[in-house]
Parts: sequence; C-alpha cells; structure tokens
Amino acid sequence: MAKMINNLLIKVYQRILIHIEDKAKFKKDYAEVVIARRKSRTEKRVDNLKENLNKEILAKALKYGIQNDLTETFINEKIKKTEERFYWKKRALKASFSRELEKAQDKTILENEFNEKSLILDNELNQEINDLRTRYANTLDNQEQYSLEVKTIENKTAEKIKKIERKSVDNLEDYQEKTDNKLKRLEKQAALFRDKLFSLADQTNIKDYGLEEGVILKLDNLTMRFGGLVAVDHLSFDVKEGEIFGLIGPNGAGKTTVFNCITKFYKPSEGKMYFRKNKIDTVFLNDYKVHQIIKQGIVRTFQNVELIWELSVIDNLLVAAHTLFKTGFFGQLLHTRKLHQEELVLRKKAENVLLKMGLYAYKDSYPLGLPYGILKKIELARTLMVEPKMIILDEPAAGLNDAETLELAKIIKMIRDEEKVTIFLVEHDMGLVMDICDTVCAISFGKKLAIGTPKEIQENKLVRDAYLGEE
Amino acid sequence: MMKLKNILANFKKQFSSISKHPYFGFIVLGLVFLFALLLRNMGLLTISVINTFTLVMIYSVVAMGFSLLLGFGGLASLGTAGLVGLGSFIMGYMHGKAGISFTATIAIAIGVALVVGLLVGFISLRIEGMYLAIITLGLGEMLRQFFISYDTFTGGFTGTSLRSFKIFGKLFESGNANYFNTVYIIVIICFILAMVATINIIKSPTGRALLSMKNSESAAQSMGISIIKYRLLAFVLSSVFAVLGGALYILHTKFSYPPQWNLSYSLDILAAVIVGGAQSIYGIIIGVFLIFGLKVSVLNYIPFFSNNPALIVIFNGVLIVLVVMFYPGGLIRLLQTSWYKLKIKLAKLKMKWRTYRYGKDDQ
Repeated sequence: MAKMINNLLIKVYQRILIHIEDKAKFKKDYAEVVIARRKSRTEKRVDNLKENLNKEILAKALKYGIQNDLTETFINEKIKKTEERFYWKKRALKASFSRELEKAQDKTILENEFNEKSLILDNELNQEINDLRTRYANTLDNQEQYSLEVKTIENKTAEKIKKIERKSVDNLEDYQEKTDNKLKRLEKQAALFRDKLFSLADQTNIKDYGLEEGVILKLDNLTMRFGGLVAVDHLSFDVKEGEIFGLIGPNGAGKTTVFNCITKFYKPSEGKMYFRKNKIDTVFLNDYKVHQIIKQGIVRTFQNVELIWELSVIDNLLVAAHTLFKTGFFGQLLHTRKLHQEELVLRKKAENVLLKMGLYAYKDSYPLGLPYGILKKIELARTLMVEPKMIILDEPAAGLNDAETLELAKIIKMIRDEEKVTIFLVEHDMGLVMDICDTVCAISFGKKLAIGTPKEIQENKLVRDAYLGEE
Repeated sequence: MMKLKNILANFKKQFSSISKHPYFGFIVLGLVFLFALLLRNMGLLTISVINTFTLVMIYSVVAMGFSLLLGFGGLASLGTAGLVGLGSFIMGYMHGKAGISFTATIAIAIGVALVVGLLVGFISLRIEGMYLAIITLGLGEMLRQFFISYDTFTGGFTGTSLRSFKIFGKLFESGNANYFNTVYIIVIICFILAMVATINIIKSPTGRALLSMKNSESAAQSMGISIIKYRLLAFVLSSVFAVLGGALYILHTKFSYPPQWNLSYSLDILAAVIVGGAQSIYGIIIGVFLIFGLKVSVLNYIPFFSNNPALIVIFNGVLIVLVVMFYPGGLIRLLQTSWYKLKIKLAKLKMKWRTYRYGKDDQ
C-alpha cells in the first residue's frame, strides 16, 4: 500500500517537475530572444541618430561655406550625379543618331549635327559642374559661428544617444534581473521537487525493470509475427547510453520491423521493451502509443524520406516541435500572446538547428525538388528539435553517394558528441557501419547472430555465412 | 517641411507593416461588402447584387470549414449539405418556433455540430479516401430523409420559414428594411470572424499538424501528432462551420426546404473549394463566387443560360474539368502565376525600351 502511494507520488512529482523545468526553459529562451531584439532595436535608433547628425553638420557647413571632407564628398557626389545624367543623355543622342544614320542619304550633314549636339552637351555639363562648384565654394567663411553651432548639435545628439543607451541598458538589466529572479524561483521549486523525488525514489526502490547501469534501451525476447511469418524471433539485446549502435543483416532480416516495434508502429506479438527516460524514470515501451513515443525521448527517421512536402523546411522542423507547443486549441484559435512567444522561441531554435546542420540557406524553400542528400539531412535536423535521448535512423545512407555518406558519418558523430544522444541505426552500407558504430548487432531471419564491436562482427563466422552463404 | 516628410515616411512604414498582417485584407474585404450595402441604400445597386454577396459570404463560411477538412486534413466528405440543412433547421425551429434566445440557439447548434462531427470523425478512423466519401454521402442522405420525414422539426415538404428574429433584445421582422440590413451586417461579421479563425488555425501548430497528417501519416505520428485527435478535430471544425453557415442561410433567405439539402449542394461546395484553391482563403471565396455567385448574378440574366438551366451545371462541370486539368492548385494559383508572369513581362518591356532609347550596353 505504502509502495503504491509512493509510486503515485513519484508520478505526480515527476509531472510537476517536468512542468516547472519546461517553464524555466521557455522563460530563459524567450528572454534571449527578447534581449537580442531589443539590442538590435537600440542599435538601429543610435545609427539613425548618427546619420541625422551627419546630415545636419553638412547642412551647417554648406550654409557657412566651410570646406572639409564632408562638403567635399557631398559636392563630388553631386558632380558624379550630373555626369551620369549627361552620360545617359549622350547615349540617347548616339542611339538616335545611329538609328537615323541607316535611313539618311546625306551622312555628312547628320554627322555634323551630331558633333554639334554632343559639343553642346559637353559644354552644358562643364557649365553645370562649374555652377555647382561656385555655388558651394564659398560665400562667407564663418568658421567661428560654424564650429559653435556644430558643437551644440554634436553635444545634443551625444546626449540623446547616451540617454537611449542608458535607458536600454537599464531596461535590459531590469528585464534580465526579473527573468533571473523568476528563473531562480523556478529553479528553487524544481530543486525542492527533485529532492523529494530522489528521496522517495531511494526509499521505494522504483521499478527499473532490471536494467543494468548504463543501458538505455533493452529488448527482451522481442517477437513479431505477421500471420505465419516470423519477422523477428525472440530477439534481445541492450543498447548502452551514448553509443552508436548498428543493426545489420541481409535483406529481409527484420531490421526495420525491429524499429517499427520500438516506435510502436507495430504492436509486438511478444516480448518486452524498456527505455531509460532519465535517471529515475524507466518506461515500459509496450504501454505507449505511437504518437507518445517522442515524448519519452525517442525520435526516428524513415527509410524513404517522409517530409511534409507542402510546408517549407523551417515549418517542417516546427512540425517536429509539435509536442513542445503548450498552447491549447483555443489559444491557437485566438492566436494568444503565449503562442506568439512560443512560436518565436521555437523558430529561433529551428534556425539554430538549421545553422548547425548547414541547411540555413534552404530555410524558406520547399523540400520538393531539393537534392536527396539535403532531404536526408533535413530529416536528421528534424529529430534534433525535441532534444531526444535516442535517435533511430532507418538506413540513413540509402541513396547517398560516397561523398555524402562521408559527410553523413561526420554529422552523426557530431550529433552524438554535441547533443549527448544515443544513436541506433540500421544500415546496409558496411563501410559506414564499421566506421562509426561502437557496437554492432547482426541479425538474420529475425534471429540474433552476434553482437560486439565492429571488428568482432567482421570476424564472426555466423555473420559471414549469413551474408555470403555457407561454404 | 522636413518634419512633414518624416511623418509621412513614418506613416508609410507603419501602414506597410499593418497591411502585411493577414487580418488587414479580411477587414478591407468586409468593408467593401459593407460599402456595397451603403450603395444599395443610396439606390445605386440592385438588390440582387447584395443577395449574391450575402450568399457568397455564407457559402464561403461553409467552404472554409470544408477546406480545413479537405485541403489541410486530406479527408473527403460529401455530407456537407446535411450539416448546413441541420444548422438552418435548428435556427428555424429553436429560435423561430420554440422561442429559445439567439445566442442559446447558436450554442445548441455548435453543440449538435460537435456531436455529429465526432461521430463522423470516429467513422473516419477506420475508413479512408473514396470509401469515406461514400460513408459521408450516406450520412448526408440520412439527414435529408430525416428532415423530410420528421416534420414537427422541419416542416416536412412545406419547409421551415423564419418570420422574425431577436438579437440583443431587439426584434427584427421580415419585410422590414431593418431586417435586411441587420442580417447583412451579421453575415459580414460572421464572415470576417470565420476568415480570422481559419487563418489562425492554418498558421498555428494545429494547421501544420493537419497538413502533416495529409502528407505523411507515419511522419506525423512519429512527431507526436495523434491521428485520432486531429481527424476528429478536422471533422468537428468543418461541421461547426457548416452548421453556422446553415443558421446564417435561414436568417438571410427566411426559408429552408428539406429536399434542397441534397448531394448536388455538397458537390457544389466541393467544387467551389477545388476550383478556387483548397489552401487559400481568397481562393475559396473566388471559387464560391464562380460556382454559386455567378449563377445568381450573371448567368441567370443571360438568356442562353436562363432558358436552359441545365447548361449552368454543364458550365460548372467544364470549369471544374479545366481547373483540375491545368491548375491543380486552384484558380488562386492561376492568378498568382499570371501576376508573376505579368511582372516579368513588364520588366522585359522596360529593358526593351531602354535598349531602344540608349542603345546596347556594350557600345
């Protein structure tokens, strides 16, 4: 009885803890987004002010006939503009001349006319440039007045800029402090529940279904029958935390069936599957439905790419983040502020994932028509959105060329090292498997042949027989 | 002078950011329809134009619900007519005869839609594609038979008529000019609200979940999207929109006749959504106008069509065939591509003029 109550309490505490942790994480991410946005906004305002200052100084300099770099560049620009205008005029003249030249009989007259006209244009141009120079070149050179006025303007803008910056810094500090306080409070609450949870867990020896230390996934006598066909036959093995585990076997050995059983696309006929969700929580996968698997921390990819073709790449990633949206249906119907905030945070996260995978350029394009290697990468990126504990890859190298396969191997390793996830893959490309896997399990006709390091598997006789036929 | 310029530039910036918001277009559209009412009251427009607008708006509400089902959820249904009829009879009976207040009637209608939607949704879990269409067709026909035979509720073959309605304590009787104006304004408000609700659903996780369910069920499931939940949601949403459309319909025409809610009405809604573009709100409105509005406002006045009404059906059929063959994305896609092509053509024309005026660049 006491044990039951304790188990119940543990479940309740876990729920609360997850809720608090999610909230804290969201607050933190959102604060980052907001701070970045506010900073860029103040920068923009300061830039605008500086631009205005330059304009005003220029106006003053022109007014008092001061010659300095600013006026020089200003006049040069004006000259350049007039020159350009005349260039186009000349071109128009030339074009019309060449058009008329074809029709005309007496060419010399035309040529003379053309020369005359172009001379006139040149003269006009020179005159205009001269006019410009004389206009700005100086009437009264009132240095004192000028420097006085410029100083006042400069001081004014400097003050304004200071004010804006101080204000924004104050605001940001305030905001940071507030969020820090909130986070601290949440952290405190979380710590409280965590302590309670651990002490309870210690007392009641929670079920870990006999999983050994360091094992994340355990299959126990997994069997899958389709009518009379036994696709997977009493298969059992352990996957250790943080390793890259490869499942190999000849065609029709039942590798994909194993995956479909783990992700609950198939209901296994017999056998048990356990998954260590976190330190104290181990789940019995047989109890879950296919759409609940992602919440336990297992994400998968598919043998033939399964993307949402009618959504852009970044929206595809947001589909993967579906379980991270906490706003309910009515919140979505009214587009509440919370949904907006969540969307901002998750979009930022998706952008970061795309940057990491080198896919940022494809952000807004639609997956239909992109190269196959890119599609595979998008599918891989999609799995990273939910920060899973385990990623299941179904033939990640199928349809890729050698260069792409090498890149994929690098990416898989990078994901394992940086995200600290366990990777479980099925693959036909032996090069890739032997290169990246820490442990390999070979199966044939649903039965386990051998399990061990890649080298052991290569030397195993049973495996060789299965692949090459018996001698 | 400088200040005025700055203010103008600022206003332009603000306006451009507002005009990009999706609600802006909806509100402008609503105002255009409202302006039409003003013109009508000034005697510049005939009543048939306003009638066309009202019908287009009402059927657009129904079609938007249907597009959530078909364009996003990828589920086919041919039972729309039954639900629209149900909405009209609930309004006619509960509010017109039983004297239940307006808001309570709407709430009851939504409740009924919820139940029916859930029922169809549960059926849809086991059946897909064509078979689902047939099942929903059966459901629609069942509803129609029910309307015909259960005459205390619907009036049987005589139909239900609504003589007056009461909203916020004010009574509006049919035949009054006020009645007409009020209904028109209510329809505009519902139309805008429906568009806002639709865009909000489309642009939220729910819309993406529906689309991913349509594209790849296995991917959707592995991403944590429950197929059961979203199928039920799609059916419930579409039936709520349909029932509300029915309630608006009886307010507008003051009459609902059971045999009119037959298969051909459902097919017309389906055709409108497909012709216009199943994933665009403006596309749906265009489609509804072509299928329903054109008949009322234009074709009925052309003697060739008005003498043989069957030709209107043939016209619609030809339209559907052409659109499905050449523009599977609907007419909205045609508009978008032609706009794009026009832009390119203009740019080319400008280039041509430039080479004529200034000669070639390398000279």
